[in-house]
Amino acid sequence: MTTAVLHLGFRPAKYLAVARTALRQALAERAAIVGRMAFFFVILLIFSQLWYVVGEMGALGELGATEFLWYLALTEWVMLSLTPVHLDIEADVRSGEIAYRLSRPISYLGGRLAEAAGDCALRAVTLGIWGFAMAYLLAGSLPKDPSGLLLALPLGVLALGLGLLSMAAIGVTAFWLQDCSPVYLVWQKAAFILGGLMLPLEIYPDWLRQVADWTPFSAFMYGVGRMSFGFDPVLAGEVALRLVGWSLLTTLLLVWMYRRALRGLEVNGG
Amino acid sequence: MRAILSFASALFVTNLRATLALRGAFWFAAVMMLLNNLLYFSIWWIFFDRFDEIRGWRFGDMAALFGVVAAGFGCAVVFAGGVRDLGRYIIDGELDGFLTQPKPPLLHALGSQSRASGWGDIASGLFLIGISGVVRPASAPLVLVAVASSAAVFTATGVILHSSAFWLGRTDSLARQFWEFQIAFSSYPRVIFGGVLKVLLFTVIPAGFIGFLPAELLRDFTWLGLAAVLGGASAYVLLAFAVFGRGLRSYESGNRVGLRA
Repeated sequence: MTTAVLHLGFRPAKYLAVARTALRQALAERAAIVGRMAFFFVILLIFSQLWYVVGEMGALGELGATEFLWYLALTEWVMLSLTPVHLDIEADVRSGEIAYRLSRPISYLGGRLAEAAGDCALRAVTLGIWGFAMAYLLAGSLPKDPSGLLLALPLGVLALGLGLLSMAAIGVTAFWLQDCSPVYLVWQKAAFILGGLMLPLEIYPDWLRQVADWTPFSAFMYGVGRMSFGFDPVLAGEVALRLVGWSLLTTLLLVWMYRRALRGLEVNGG
Repeated sequence: MRAILSFASALFVTNLRATLALRGAFWFAAVMMLLNNLLYFSIWWIFFDRFDEIRGWRFGDMAALFGVVAAGFGCAVVFAGGVRDLGRYIIDGELDGFLTQPKPPLLHALGSQSRASGWGDIASGLFLIGISGVVRPASAPLVLVAVASSAAVFTATGVILHSSAFWLGRTDSLARQFWEFQIAFSSYPRVIFGGVLKVLLFTVIPAGFIGFLPAELLRDFTWLGLAAVLGGASAYVLLAFAVFGRGLRSYESGNRVGLRA
């Protein structure tokens, strides 16, 4: 059974079909879409006020409040577009639904990731358009060098890939912990702080910035948000490489954890 | 009144025993929430390390504000944890179980649950208030007033939001989302908000009564400030009772057969 369920045995058509179905389902949940958009707006509204007050004090240096607000729009776009796939995996483990899902002719993990990718695609498009409009409305203009925003798009997609893989790995911890939300909260806060979700790493103390650079979070959040400060294809290339590298490492970790989890599940007779 | 207080304390003790029954899970949830809040708050440490102040607000003021909001939220979900599910109780007909008992149904529904993670919120809130440097030993009782008022407004607005289910149907996820907006708005210094937004933050989204005013009371005590905090909290609590009572008149039973012991 292990070999059967582990085969990420890749037939893309099956996974694409799963992703398409998830996207259509997500499209029907209009209240959730509106809720996310409203939350995105609230965060941008609060920070637009904060950065303008700080900007008035002349404390932002070369960069203005506008660039800081666009930075936040990009990092929040990535964060809010992530589908909480860890909750789906946790629910499957806790309810026993996983036993039924494992018998399907598709990898359980691959299927869950494909569903999450479909849902995430819809979130990324809706929140991307909404975030762009709201950031423009609240900032009153584009950043000084808006061409950097074009580089943020492909980097955002890579960051979403890394985010989904990380959240799937967090979900797999439910095989041992049952409730994976504490692990998620720690990961989320690490992304907030070491990634620079709200504050760009430029304003961090040097030592903390160096620590952040050794983690995946700096490329995951700051790497994308930094593009609001200007067009820098060399930096974008470096961020892309780091995102791909961390995604590969996370995939290896995820597969290793999943294999161990399934072994435990079989031993327990699941 | 004495009977109601005795019922409320009995509910709390029962819930506390239930959450402590799973001792490991209780400590895990509480400690993780404590860490979560402190990690989140470290963003403000980074911010004030760089910018020093925002229109007179310094790190200590921010710690007091964040502390009051965290402890207020913690008290709300520990003592009135049922508020988060009130909309679901209404729409699924689960209020029946509370209505058939000779006790105030709202109080009973609110006290029917207690969340272990709330203890982590309370601990982190008190810790942040403690390190804020704005509380002098003589003003320590004010901490209790500030946190209790914040918790009362949190709970009252939760009741108002979830009571919308009496008229609008399933609104629980929207109500929760709106409740979270309150936390978001309450946790930032009020000096950054101006104009219409400031008015909204003392009315529709009562962030002013959840965080700003109680935290300012700790910073600079005035009798007027105390009256504003207590008056605001009392007004929202009365409004919550009125809205829930009004909604109860249009409540239709879920025809549920069940027993609440």
